[in-house]
Amino acid sequence: MMLLAKAALGLTGTLFVAGAYTFHEGVIRIDVDEHRAGGSHVHMWVPAAAVPMALHFVPQKHLRKAAEHSREALPIAHAIVKELKKYPDVDLVEVVDGSQHVRIRTRNGKLQIDVEEPDQQVHLLLPLSTLDEVTSQLEAKAPGA
Amino acid sequence: MSDCKRGFCTRTALTAATTLLLIPGLALAQAPSAKTSSAPSTTSAKQDRWLHVRVISSDAKGETVRVNVPLELAEKVLPAINHDRLHDGKVKIDCAHLNDVDLRAMVGAIRTAKDGEYVTVQGNDNDVRVAKQDNHLIIHVLDKGKSKRSQVEIKVPMKVIDALFSAGKDELDLVAALHALSGTGDTELVSVKADDNTVRVWLDSKNVAN
Repeated sequence: MMLLAKAALGLTGTLFVAGAYTFHEGVIRIDVDEHRAGGSHVHMWVPAAAVPMALHFVPQKHLRKAAEHSREALPIAHAIVKELKKYPDVDLVEVVDGSQHVRIRTRNGKLQIDVEEPDQQVHLLLPLSTLDEVTSQLEAKAPGA
Repeated sequence: MSDCKRGFCTRTALTAATTLLLIPGLALAQAPSAKTSSAPSTTSAKQDRWLHVRVISSDAKGETVRVNVPLELAEKVLPAINHDRLHDGKVKIDCAHLNDVDLRAMVGAIRTAKDGEYVTVQGNDNDVRVAKQDNHLIIHVLDKGKSKRSQVEIKVPMKVIDALFSAGKDELDLVAALHALSGTGDTELVSVKADDNTVRVWLDSKNVAN
Protein backbone atom coordinates (compact mmCIF):
# COMPACT_ATOMS: atom_id res chain seq x y z
CA MET A 1 0.00 0.00 0.00
CA MET A 2 2.84 2.35 0.99
CA LEU A 3 4.65 1.55 -2.27
CA LEU A 4 1.51 2.32 -4.23
CA ALA A 5 1.12 5.67 -2.50
CA LYS A 6 4.74 6.57 -3.23
CA ALA A 7 4.33 5.62 -6.88
CA ALA A 8 1.12 7.66 -7.12
CA LEU A 9 2.84 10.65 -5.52
CA GLY A 10 5.80 10.36 -7.90
CA LEU A 11 3.60 10.01 -10.97
CA THR A 12 1.25 12.84 -10.10
CA GLY A 13 4.18 15.03 -9.06
CA THR A 14 5.71 14.53 -12.49
CA LEU A 15 2.35 15.15 -14.18
CA PHE A 16 1.88 18.30 -12.10
CA VAL A 17 5.30 19.71 -12.98
CA ALA A 18 4.81 18.85 -16.66
CA GLY A 19 1.31 20.35 -16.63
CA ALA A 20 2.44 23.48 -14.83
CA TYR A 21 5.30 23.98 -17.30
CA THR A 22 3.10 23.34 -20.33
CA PHE A 23 0.44 25.79 -19.21
CA HIS A 24 2.60 28.37 -17.42
CA GLU A 25 2.25 30.76 -20.37
CA GLY A 26 -1.47 30.06 -20.69
CA VAL A 27 -3.21 28.80 -23.78
CA ILE A 28 -3.64 30.03 -27.32
CA ARG A 29 -7.31 29.97 -28.22
CA ILE A 30 -8.57 30.03 -31.76
CA ASP A 31 -12.32 29.93 -32.35
CA VAL A 32 -13.74 30.28 -35.84
CA ASP A 33 -17.45 29.80 -36.48
CA GLU A 34 -18.97 30.25 -39.90
CA HIS A 35 -22.74 30.30 -39.61
CA ARG A 36 -23.66 29.09 -43.07
CA ALA A 37 -24.21 25.83 -44.82
CA GLY A 38 -20.92 23.95 -44.90
CA GLY A 39 -19.27 26.63 -42.80
CA SER A 40 -16.31 25.58 -40.73
CA HIS A 41 -16.18 25.51 -36.95
CA VAL A 42 -12.67 25.50 -35.60
CA HIS A 43 -12.00 25.50 -31.87
CA MET A 44 -8.39 25.10 -30.82
CA TRP A 45 -6.77 25.30 -27.43
CA VAL A 46 -3.00 25.04 -27.65
CA PRO A 47 -0.61 25.38 -24.69
CA ALA A 48 1.24 28.62 -25.45
CA ALA A 49 4.55 27.23 -24.20
CA ALA A 50 4.39 24.51 -26.84
CA VAL A 51 4.61 26.95 -29.77
CA PRO A 52 8.14 28.35 -29.21
CA MET A 53 9.18 24.79 -28.35
CA ALA A 54 7.66 23.47 -31.57
CA LEU A 55 9.54 26.12 -33.57
CA HIS A 56 12.77 24.34 -32.67
CA PHE A 57 11.55 21.32 -34.61
CA VAL A 58 10.57 23.26 -37.73
CA PRO A 59 13.16 22.77 -40.51
CA GLN A 60 15.53 25.73 -40.61
CA LYS A 61 14.89 26.45 -44.29
CA HIS A 62 11.16 26.93 -43.63
CA LEU A 63 11.87 29.24 -40.70
CA ARG A 64 14.34 31.27 -42.75
CA LYS A 65 11.77 31.54 -45.56
CA ALA A 66 9.08 32.71 -43.16
CA ALA A 67 11.48 35.20 -41.60
CA GLU A 68 12.47 36.49 -45.01
CA HIS A 69 8.85 36.94 -46.08
CA SER A 70 8.04 38.90 -42.95
CA ARG A 71 11.37 40.74 -42.80
CA GLU A 72 9.77 44.19 -42.82
CA ALA A 73 6.96 43.35 -40.43
CA LEU A 74 8.94 41.38 -37.83
CA PRO A 75 10.76 44.28 -36.11
CA ILE A 76 7.46 46.21 -35.99
CA ALA A 77 5.54 43.23 -34.60
CA HIS A 78 8.31 42.60 -32.06
CA ALA A 79 8.35 46.24 -30.96
CA ILE A 80 4.53 46.31 -30.63
CA VAL A 81 4.38 43.07 -28.66
CA LYS A 82 7.26 44.11 -26.40
CA GLU A 83 5.50 47.39 -25.62
CA LEU A 84 2.06 45.84 -25.28
CA LYS A 85 3.37 43.63 -22.48
CA LYS A 86 3.49 46.80 -20.40
CA TYR A 87 -0.24 47.28 -20.96
CA PRO A 88 -1.93 44.03 -19.92
CA ASP A 89 -5.54 45.29 -19.95
CA VAL A 90 -6.35 47.85 -22.61
CA ASP A 91 -8.81 48.31 -25.44
CA LEU A 92 -6.71 49.29 -28.42
CA VAL A 93 -9.08 49.30 -31.37
CA GLU A 94 -12.82 48.94 -31.62
CA VAL A 95 -14.76 49.23 -34.85
CA VAL A 96 -18.52 48.88 -34.96
CA ASP A 97 -20.06 49.03 -38.40
CA GLY A 98 -23.68 48.01 -38.43
CA SER A 99 -23.68 44.36 -37.44
CA GLN A 100 -19.91 44.02 -37.78
CA HIS A 101 -17.81 44.36 -34.68
CA VAL A 102 -14.02 44.21 -34.48
CA ARG A 103 -12.14 44.50 -31.22
CA ILE A 104 -8.41 44.36 -30.55
CA ARG A 105 -7.44 44.49 -26.91
CA THR A 106 -5.17 43.00 -24.30
CA ARG A 107 -6.52 41.05 -21.35
CA ASN A 108 -4.39 39.49 -18.62
CA GLY A 109 -1.26 39.78 -20.76
CA LYS A 110 -2.94 38.23 -23.80
CA LEU A 111 -3.74 39.78 -27.15
CA GLN A 112 -7.42 39.29 -27.80
CA ILE A 113 -8.85 39.79 -31.29
CA ASP A 114 -12.59 39.42 -31.77
CA VAL A 115 -14.31 39.73 -35.11
CA GLU A 116 -18.07 39.33 -35.11
CA GLU A 117 -20.16 39.38 -38.24
CA PRO A 118 -23.65 38.01 -38.74
CA ASP A 119 -22.35 35.00 -40.67
CA GLN A 120 -19.04 34.40 -38.95
CA GLN A 121 -17.22 34.89 -35.70
CA VAL A 122 -13.49 34.76 -35.10
CA HIS A 123 -11.93 34.93 -31.67
CA LEU A 124 -8.19 34.79 -31.06
CA LEU A 125 -6.45 34.79 -27.73
CA LEU A 126 -2.67 34.90 -27.88
CA PRO A 127 -0.37 35.31 -24.87
CA LEU A 128 1.92 38.30 -25.50
CA SER A 129 4.90 36.47 -24.02
CA THR A 130 4.47 33.73 -26.63
CA LEU A 131 4.18 36.26 -29.45
CA ASP A 132 7.31 37.96 -28.13
CA GLU A 133 9.20 34.67 -28.12
CA VAL A 134 8.00 33.66 -31.58
CA THR A 135 8.85 37.03 -33.17
CA SER A 136 12.26 36.98 -31.45
CA GLN A 137 12.99 33.51 -32.81
CA LEU A 138 11.89 34.47 -36.32
CA GLU A 139 13.93 37.68 -36.17
CA ALA A 140 16.98 35.64 -35.20
CA LYS A 141 16.43 33.44 -38.27
CA ALA A 142 16.04 36.39 -40.63
CA PRO A 143 18.81 36.79 -43.19
CA GLY A 144 21.51 39.13 -41.95
CA ALA A 145 20.47 38.73 -38.30
CA MET B 1 6.50 1.62 11.53
CA SER B 2 3.26 1.10 13.42
CA ASP B 3 0.06 0.43 11.46
CA CYS B 4 -1.37 3.76 12.64
CA LYS B 5 1.64 5.74 11.37
CA ARG B 6 1.77 3.79 8.10
CA GLY B 7 -1.93 4.47 7.50
CA PHE B 8 -1.43 8.17 8.19
CA CYS B 9 1.56 8.38 5.82
CA THR B 10 -0.33 6.57 3.06
CA ARG B 11 -3.38 8.81 3.43
CA THR B 12 -1.15 11.92 3.39
CA ALA B 13 0.69 10.77 0.28
CA LEU B 14 -2.54 9.95 -1.55
CA THR B 15 -4.12 13.28 -0.52
CA ALA B 16 -1.02 15.16 -1.75
CA ALA B 17 -1.09 13.25 -5.02
CA THR B 18 -4.80 13.99 -5.53
CA THR B 19 -4.30 17.70 -4.73
CA LEU B 20 -1.40 17.96 -7.16
CA LEU B 21 -3.52 16.37 -9.85
CA LEU B 22 -6.41 18.72 -9.26
CA ILE B 23 -4.49 22.02 -9.12
CA PRO B 24 -3.70 22.35 -12.86
CA GLY B 25 -7.32 21.56 -13.67
CA LEU B 26 -8.55 24.22 -11.27
CA ALA B 27 -6.08 26.74 -12.63
CA LEU B 28 -7.24 26.02 -16.18
CA ALA B 29 -10.87 26.21 -15.18
CA GLN B 30 -10.27 29.67 -13.74
CA ALA B 31 -8.39 30.97 -16.77
CA PRO B 32 -11.40 31.65 -19.05
CA SER B 33 -13.38 33.30 -16.27
CA ALA B 34 -10.45 35.57 -15.49
CA LYS B 35 -10.36 36.45 -19.18
CA THR B 36 -13.96 37.48 -19.38
CA SER B 37 -14.34 39.16 -16.01
CA SER B 38 -11.56 41.69 -16.28
CA ALA B 39 -12.24 45.13 -17.67
CA PRO B 40 -9.71 47.82 -18.44
CA SER B 41 -9.04 50.26 -15.66
CA THR B 42 -9.90 53.83 -16.57
CA THR B 43 -6.61 55.28 -15.44
CA SER B 44 -3.31 53.52 -15.95
CA ALA B 45 -1.19 52.77 -12.88
CA LYS B 46 1.63 55.10 -13.77
CA GLN B 47 0.67 58.27 -15.55
CA ASP B 48 0.92 56.99 -19.09
CA ARG B 49 -0.23 59.34 -21.79
CA TRP B 50 -2.79 57.99 -24.22
CA LEU B 51 -3.70 59.21 -27.67
CA HIS B 52 -7.35 58.58 -28.45
CA VAL B 53 -9.08 58.69 -31.80
CA ARG B 54 -12.84 58.44 -32.04
CA VAL B 55 -14.89 58.52 -35.21
CA ILE B 56 -18.65 58.38 -34.95
CA SER B 57 -20.70 58.26 -38.09
CA SER B 58 -24.30 59.25 -37.83
CA ASP B 59 -25.40 57.42 -40.96
CA ALA B 60 -27.82 54.49 -40.92
CA LYS B 61 -25.12 51.92 -40.11
CA GLY B 62 -23.82 54.03 -37.26
CA GLU B 63 -20.15 53.26 -37.76
CA THR B 64 -17.94 53.86 -34.76
CA VAL B 65 -14.17 53.63 -34.55
CA ARG B 66 -12.29 53.91 -31.30
CA VAL B 67 -8.51 53.75 -31.12
CA ASN B 68 -6.50 54.10 -27.91
CA VAL B 69 -2.72 54.15 -28.24
CA PRO B 70 -0.20 54.68 -25.45
CA LEU B 71 2.15 57.45 -26.59
CA GLU B 72 5.12 55.50 -25.26
CA LEU B 73 4.15 52.56 -27.46
CA ALA B 74 3.88 54.78 -30.50
CA GLU B 75 7.26 56.35 -29.66
CA LYS B 76 8.91 52.92 -29.47
CA VAL B 77 7.18 51.38 -32.47
CA LEU B 78 7.55 54.25 -34.98
CA PRO B 79 11.37 53.94 -35.28
CA ALA B 80 10.89 50.25 -36.12
CA ILE B 81 8.85 51.14 -39.20
CA ASN B 82 11.04 51.68 -42.22
CA HIS B 83 8.77 51.98 -45.19
CA ASP B 84 8.53 54.40 -48.08
CA ARG B 85 9.19 57.88 -46.65
CA LEU B 86 9.11 56.85 -43.01
CA HIS B 87 12.49 55.95 -41.55
CA ASP B 88 13.68 55.97 -37.93
CA GLY B 89 10.56 57.81 -36.84
CA LYS B 90 11.07 60.58 -39.37
CA VAL B 91 9.06 61.34 -42.47
CA LYS B 92 10.86 62.67 -45.48
CA ILE B 93 9.09 65.47 -47.26
CA ASP B 94 10.16 66.13 -50.82
CA CYS B 95 11.23 69.62 -50.09
CA ALA B 96 10.48 72.03 -47.33
CA HIS B 97 9.13 74.46 -49.89
CA LEU B 98 5.57 73.44 -50.45
CA ASN B 99 3.83 75.57 -53.05
CA ASP B 100 6.57 78.14 -52.53
CA VAL B 101 5.91 78.27 -48.80
CA ASP B 102 8.95 77.66 -46.60
CA LEU B 103 7.37 75.71 -43.78
CA ARG B 104 10.39 75.76 -41.50
CA ALA B 105 10.79 79.51 -41.87
CA MET B 106 7.09 79.93 -41.19
CA VAL B 107 7.26 77.80 -38.04
CA GLY B 108 10.29 79.74 -36.88
CA ALA B 109 8.43 82.99 -37.40
CA ILE B 110 5.34 81.76 -35.55
CA ARG B 111 7.46 80.47 -32.65
CA THR B 112 8.96 83.86 -32.01
CA ALA B 113 5.82 85.85 -32.71
CA LYS B 114 3.39 86.98 -30.05
CA ASP B 115 -0.06 85.52 -29.57
CA GLY B 116 -2.58 86.67 -32.11
CA GLU B 117 -4.60 85.88 -35.19
CA TYR B 118 -2.39 85.36 -38.22
CA VAL B 119 -4.87 84.41 -40.87
CA THR B 120 -8.55 85.16 -41.05
CA VAL B 121 -10.45 84.34 -44.20
CA GLN B 122 -14.16 84.74 -44.40
CA GLY B 123 -15.60 83.51 -47.66
CA ASN B 124 -18.88 82.34 -49.01
CA ASP B 125 -17.84 78.70 -48.80
CA ASN B 126 -15.24 78.66 -46.02
CA ASP B 127 -14.11 80.54 -42.97
CA VAL B 128 -10.49 79.94 -42.02
CA ARG B 129 -8.72 81.15 -38.94
CA VAL B 130 -5.09 80.51 -37.97
CA ALA B 131 -3.97 81.83 -34.62
CA LYS B 132 -1.41 81.44 -31.88
CA GLN B 133 -2.83 81.40 -28.40
CA ASP B 134 -1.30 80.30 -25.06
CA ASN B 135 1.60 78.59 -26.87
CA HIS B 136 -0.79 76.62 -29.06
CA LEU B 137 -1.23 76.88 -32.80
CA ILE B 138 -4.92 76.93 -33.54
CA ILE B 139 -6.43 76.25 -36.95
CA HIS B 140 -10.15 76.61 -37.38
CA VAL B 141 -11.94 75.85 -40.63
CA LEU B 142 -15.66 76.18 -41.14
CA ASP B 143 -16.94 74.68 -44.36
CA LYS B 144 -20.20 76.34 -45.23
CA GLY B 145 -20.97 74.11 -48.19
CA LYS B 146 -24.61 74.15 -49.13
CA SER B 147 -25.17 70.39 -48.89
CA LYS B 148 -22.95 69.55 -45.92
CA ARG B 149 -21.51 71.75 -43.23
CA SER B 150 -18.37 70.82 -41.35
CA GLN B 151 -16.22 72.39 -38.74
CA VAL B 152 -12.58 71.50 -38.16
CA GLU B 153 -10.59 72.60 -35.13
CA ILE B 154 -6.92 71.76 -34.70
CA LYS B 155 -5.05 72.78 -31.60
CA VAL B 156 -1.39 71.80 -31.36
CA PRO B 157 1.07 72.88 -28.67
CA MET B 158 3.89 74.96 -30.17
CA LYS B 159 6.53 72.74 -28.57
CA VAL B 160 5.09 69.78 -30.50
CA ILE B 161 5.40 71.72 -33.75
CA ASP B 162 8.94 72.71 -32.83
CA ALA B 163 9.79 69.06 -32.18
CA LEU B 164 8.18 68.04 -35.46
CA PHE B 165 10.50 70.36 -37.37
CA SER B 166 13.55 69.62 -35.23
CA ALA B 167 14.97 67.01 -37.64
CA GLY B 168 16.84 67.66 -40.88
CA LYS B 169 15.75 70.17 -43.46
CA ASP B 170 13.42 67.90 -45.40
CA GLU B 171 12.18 65.77 -42.54
CA LEU B 172 9.46 65.75 -39.94
CA ASP B 173 10.46 64.11 -36.68
CA LEU B 174 7.35 62.21 -35.59
CA VAL B 175 9.00 60.56 -32.60
CA ALA B 176 10.21 63.88 -31.24
CA ALA B 177 6.71 65.30 -31.75
CA LEU B 178 5.16 62.38 -29.85
CA HIS B 179 7.70 62.81 -27.08
CA ALA B 180 6.86 66.48 -26.83
CA LEU B 181 3.18 65.62 -26.86
CA SER B 182 3.63 63.24 -23.91
CA GLY B 183 4.85 66.20 -21.86
CA THR B 184 1.68 68.20 -22.39
CA GLY B 185 -1.46 68.06 -20.30
CA ASP B 186 -4.85 66.65 -21.29
CA THR B 187 -5.75 68.30 -24.54
CA GLU B 188 -8.00 67.97 -27.56
CA LEU B 189 -5.89 68.03 -30.68
CA VAL B 190 -8.37 67.61 -33.50
CA SER B 191 -12.11 67.97 -33.63
CA VAL B 192 -14.16 67.56 -36.77
CA LYS B 193 -17.89 68.04 -36.63
CA ALA B 194 -19.78 67.36 -39.82
CA ASP B 195 -23.37 66.57 -40.59
CA ASP B 196 -22.69 62.89 -41.05
CA ASN B 197 -19.81 62.21 -38.69
CA THR B 198 -17.67 63.51 -35.88
CA VAL B 199 -13.96 62.91 -35.38
CA ARG B 200 -12.07 63.59 -32.20
CA VAL B 201 -8.38 63.14 -31.47
CA TRP B 202 -7.30 63.87 -27.94
CA LEU B 203 -4.70 63.15 -25.31
CA ASP B 204 -5.17 62.17 -21.67
CA SER B 205 -4.09 59.70 -19.00
CA LYS B 206 -7.01 57.31 -19.37
CA ASN B 207 -6.67 54.07 -21.27
CA VAL B 208 -10.27 54.06 -22.44
CA ALA B 209 -12.00 56.44 -24.82
CA ASN B 210 -15.08 57.87 -23.13
